[in-house]
Amino acid sequence: MLLELAIRNIRAHGRRSLLTILLGAVSTGLLVFSTAWMDGSHAQMIRNAVEIYPGYLQITGASFRESPSYEHLIFDVERLSGLLAREPGVADSSPRFESFVLFARDEKAVGGMLTGLVPAREAAVSRLRDSLVAGRYLEKGDSNQLYLGKELARRLGVGVGDELAFVGSGADYSFAADRLRVVGIFQTGLFDFDAASAFMAKDYFDTIMAAENQATHIIVQPRDPGQAPELARRLATLLGPEYQAASWRETMAPLVKAMEIDSLFGYLTLAVIFIVIFFVIMIYTLLLVYARIREIGIMRALGTTPGQVLTLLLLESALLGLLSVLLGGLIGGAFAYYYSVHPMVFASMEEQFRQYGLAVSAIPAAFAPLVILRDMALMYLLLLLSTLYPIIKVNGLPPIEAIHHV
Amino acid sequence: MSSLVLKMAWASLARRPTRSLLVVLMIAVSLWGLLLMQGIYDGMTEQMISNAIRSDAGHLSIFARGYRLDPSLDLLVEPEQGPAQEVAGGLGNEGPGLAASLAADPRVASHVVRLRQNGLVATSHYSRHAEIIGVELEGEQLQGRLADYLTTGKYDFGPKGKGAIIGHKLAAKLQVRLGGKIVVSAQDRAGELAGTALRVSGIIRTNNMGLDENAVFIDLARARGLLGVESGVSQLALLLAKGYGEEDLAALQGELRAGWPDLAVSRWDELYPALMQSRVLMRGFSLVVSGLVFGVAGLGIFGVMLVSVLERLREFGIMLAIGAGLNTIRKTILLESLLMGLAGFLAGALAGGLSLLYFRRFGLDLSVFSEALAEFGMDAVTYAIIRFSYFSEALAAVILATLVSVYFSLRVLGRSRPMAVINKG
Repeated sequence: MLLELAIRNIRAHGRRSLLTILLGAVSTGLLVFSTAWMDGSHAQMIRNAVEIYPGYLQITGASFRESPSYEHLIFDVERLSGLLAREPGVADSSPRFESFVLFARDEKAVGGMLTGLVPAREAAVSRLRDSLVAGRYLEKGDSNQLYLGKELARRLGVGVGDELAFVGSGADYSFAADRLRVVGIFQTGLFDFDAASAFMAKDYFDTIMAAENQATHIIVQPRDPGQAPELARRLATLLGPEYQAASWRETMAPLVKAMEIDSLFGYLTLAVIFIVIFFVIMIYTLLLVYARIREIGIMRALGTTPGQVLTLLLLESALLGLLSVLLGGLIGGAFAYYYSVHPMVFASMEEQFRQYGLAVSAIPAAFAPLVILRDMALMYLLLLLSTLYPIIKVNGLPPIEAIHHV
Repeated sequence: MSSLVLKMAWASLARRPTRSLLVVLMIAVSLWGLLLMQGIYDGMTEQMISNAIRSDAGHLSIFARGYRLDPSLDLLVEPEQGPAQEVAGGLGNEGPGLAASLAADPRVASHVVRLRQNGLVATSHYSRHAEIIGVELEGEQLQGRLADYLTTGKYDFGPKGKGAIIGHKLAAKLQVRLGGKIVVSAQDRAGELAGTALRVSGIIRTNNMGLDENAVFIDLARARGLLGVESGVSQLALLLAKGYGEEDLAALQGELRAGWPDLAVSRWDELYPALMQSRVLMRGFSLVVSGLVFGVAGLGIFGVMLVSVLERLREFGIMLAIGAGLNTIRKTILLESLLMGLAGFLAGALAGGLSLLYFRRFGLDLSVFSEALAEFGMDAVTYAIIRFSYFSEALAAVILATLVSVYFSLRVLGRSRPMAVINKG
């Protein structure tokens, strides 16, 4: 009976009920979509930053990340590759040897990173091959062929087919130098990376840098990238204390934290909006219950207990709140779904993203039903809370005072 | 009459204290949040801009034309070069040189010169790409207070100029500490590979990502010797004197471009477009959030005023019957809503202003996120900014929201014909 009464009351004050529902729905929709947008954009930025080059999981010598010197290299790449190949969580792995050298062409010399890699295996762990813009990617059997970042190529004034030289130090600290021929140029969109990186086939690299069976990193592509941290823990046990296995959450920790901060500020901003919505709903509930104060007084005078009145008013709020979050969840969820399928394009903001090392211009929202339900539940709680004070206040009035309330 | 209107408006608000107070509280709390948000976010953006200006770009940077596309030692600025002007037999560069002109210009507070070259920096274990920047420390301190960025060590290259001040991220990558030896090598002006051994005398954290990751500051004279550059610099950066603004900057840029057409004169926002985008974006973002907040707050005021009008229709009818004009009633209602709006504004502005003063003085310490903030080029402690416009715009928004929300209530009043209501008895 109380439920019937509650529904009847909601319908009797149609306009105000509608306004309350709309306010609640807009708030819920805003929260659902904002969360989907923030989660989606952060996931995309991290995914891009991780997949372009660093990879989901890196294996290095035990102290290499803290002290990246040639003394902390991986000295038995083949054995480790064999172990990794037998690990069920590993889809692929690829060794890299990174060194910093001076590239020289005619009268120009530019410092940069020269890396030896295994072309086919590298293609499975990063987006280097897909970033080709001119010439070709590296192939098995390549010797002094070089795959060069577009910005670095521009700085050196070289194109596909041109030759350049490099000088650096080999893994044994010996002097290393050679002439290299550019076979391909890549552009990842990460300006600094494109301005300082060059790659060549590891077999030949190893001969000129004295780096046979050695690597600075082995990049691992997990079967399920979402399980990279767990896989890193397993690999750390499997490989022993001589090696370190770190997932992207560790190797890209500042970026992960930066995204968390961005979310934090996003939620703080939303909180300001929600505070005012909270007050508006409270005010409307107050107006609504005071408009019915005589009716409530009469009900009380006729023998309805304060508990029953409280239940009735709470039931009305609960129903209005439920309609609000359902409608808001649907609207916010629909937007989240749409933009997860059709990412928003921010071509004009590429410069800003690039400044932060993020090669993205199209950003999808994240459509996660569980997260949407969580936000709906949170907003439902907030809506109920905002109606509590007016309901308790009006229910505290003695019946006679309520009836004579002007 | 106006005092009567004020008394009636006040009495009406006091009659329903809970809801009047709720409206005031709603405006105050939301305004407090908005002011805090604006002041802190603007503080973050301006701090990033200030870091870029102090540590690198200045308000204006002068390069040789084409240098930024192809940073080479063949493209240098000659600070002694006079402005281009017609002389006998064509164009010449006579008159006071660029540096002298800037030194004499009251709009210019200071200027510094830098010689830059890409190269390698190596320790005994590791080598890495770096940017070698020859600087004069006194000038850098005067212009950008570079010493304030020092996290450890001395702001000094030592008596023989063999010291180097390097970015903290570069130091971490190289695993080099204070006093540690590094070898920098780069191509000199003749195209030969040149190198020199230095000791790390200081480590800086500017939160300008490019510098923190790549910069090796060395003595300008040593850089000249290393790179074989007798005269000329890669960059001349200048800072505008206090009291001069955007228009003066644009005028100065125009004059320098006209006087030295073979040089590229760029404002800081042309060198760091992302920072300008951040500022514009932040303003747009604040505007949207403020619009949303005041829009919703207006809805709250509207609800209260509408109910207030509807429940007093009989009262208004009686007032009309005893000779009060409809305008008096309108003024009363308007004043009621304005009183609520202004009370909310005053409370919110006071709370927001005091909070911003606190954060301007002591800063918002987010050191726990310092590494992450550095990803955005931000400092760990953010100092809030207080602008008069925050308050004036908020006041305008509160008044606007109040007027718009009361407008509909007054229309309802006009349609309801209060005299007819008392006749219904």
